[in-house]
Amino acid sequence: MKGWDNVKMKNFLNNIGYFVREAKTTIRLDLTSNIFSLFSTTLIFFILAMVISGWWMSNQVIEVIQGEAEINAYFDEQLEKKDIIELVESMNSIKGVEAARLVGEDEAYGRMAEILGKDAQVLAYFEDNPFHSFVEVKIHLDEMDSVLSHISAMEGVSYVRDNREVLERLHHIAGILELLGYVVVGAVGISTLVIISHIIRQGIYSNREQINTLRLLGAPEMFIAFPFVLEGLFLSAAGGSLAVVLAGFSIKYMYVQMAGPLPFIPLPSQEVLIVNMGILIIGLSACMGIIGSMMGLSSAKKN
Amino acid sequence: MIEAQGVCLKYGDGTVALNDVDLQIDYGEMVYITGPSGSGKTSLLKLLMAVEYPTSGSLRVLGQCMKPNHEIDIQRLRRRIGPVFQEFKLIKGRSAMENVMLGMRFLDIHPNKIKEDAYHALVKVGLAHKLSASVENLSWGESQRVAIARAIARKPALILADEPTGNLDTDNALNILELLASLKDEQTSVVITTHATHLIDDRNLDKLIQVDGGRVCCERLG
Repeated sequence: MKGWDNVKMKNFLNNIGYFVREAKTTIRLDLTSNIFSLFSTTLIFFILAMVISGWWMSNQVIEVIQGEAEINAYFDEQLEKKDIIELVESMNSIKGVEAARLVGEDEAYGRMAEILGKDAQVLAYFEDNPFHSFVEVKIHLDEMDSVLSHISAMEGVSYVRDNREVLERLHHIAGILELLGYVVVGAVGISTLVIISHIIRQGIYSNREQINTLRLLGAPEMFIAFPFVLEGLFLSAAGGSLAVVLAGFSIKYMYVQMAGPLPFIPLPSQEVLIVNMGILIIGLSACMGIIGSMMGLSSAKKN
Repeated sequence: MIEAQGVCLKYGDGTVALNDVDLQIDYGEMVYITGPSGSGKTSLLKLLMAVEYPTSGSLRVLGQCMKPNHEIDIQRLRRRIGPVFQEFKLIKGRSAMENVMLGMRFLDIHPNKIKEDAYHALVKVGLAHKLSASVENLSWGESQRVAIARAIARKPALILADEPTGNLDTDNALNILELLASLKDEQTSVVITTHATHLIDDRNLDKLIQVDGGRVCCERLG
């Protein structure tokens, strides 16, 4: 049995050149139809590339915004400096707290002056610094409730400004975007598989006489099927590559358009985004080409 | 090599193509099957090629029992047969050489040997000058010779040829029959269906089977 497998493998390797030529011939013989198939796969992978890029961008934005999620804890003014430091340290050890640090009165004043900008002169009307020291606590949104209850219950903490409504909305939006991303990527992925398997099925149908002849000559199913799998792989990978080029240009254009009016949106690095998207789409297109071909072959065999 | 006992073939629409056929063909025999159109010659050949399976009776070809549920064994059996189809069944868009080579690529033959054997087979059928011609550009007679070259290049144990001289002029037809008869020396059995009984050379004949109305009505030893 092992010997037979070796024979089959040797025969398969000997025929690699033939399989590639045969796939090219099959594409050439039905060129118009295959060009349309290539356009379809390019278009669908372009949509997939843009959806994935958009998803990555929104994830990055959410991550950055989530990183900014914070609450402010005000403490009793009678607390000694040593107690305040201990309080900050205890807050740092709470699960769900990313970082807790003391913001002194002067820093609080400076921040407000920065926020007010030109109107900061209004602060000059106060004889003393109107701002109190507080602890700025950056938190993980998922742990918001437990962190809030922990901090509120801590001795020495007089008041917690939690921005709960804003944080909850942010959390909700992040969840929806993540779900939407999965749904869209899944839907586009399934459409790609269906289109490619249909293209391969059509290819098999137009070559049914050849397939039948090879069967009558005793060709193994693997020998008959492999050029069609390669055809699916070539069409799909070529479509994927074209889509990456198109998506690359589109992303560059989009960044240029967004840089002017929306400079505050924290977008990921353009180069990293395009390279990662390119690798993913070409890899996916190759895999989907193979899987789609297998699906096309198996459905053609059933009929 | 081929043993048939009480073989019947009935198509789905109720047509009885073969009825109670008994047959015995040994290694290295040259056998002609003759009979009028619709007599069952091609149906008999289809059974031997495992294109159809007997609806009743028993049929063994090269030791293989011909039953539809033996798919892998049938596939192996087909690799040991050199079929020549009435409608040629050449692969379009490929050259004569590629067509002959295609029939050998899955037979565990070294790629260089495949090329060499395909070339020699085409030379034998008189197509040395048409090696790279696309099969669409060949005449019927040339296409038939490519189909014959594809069958003999595989060096099969059994050649099954359905009207292999149907589209050939007398000289070419005689050459092809001579070529097929020469395979006897390699213990290859050759089964040929034909209308052209005038081309049959008694010297190369081991068995002549006449079929009529789906029955073997006369078997003459050569």
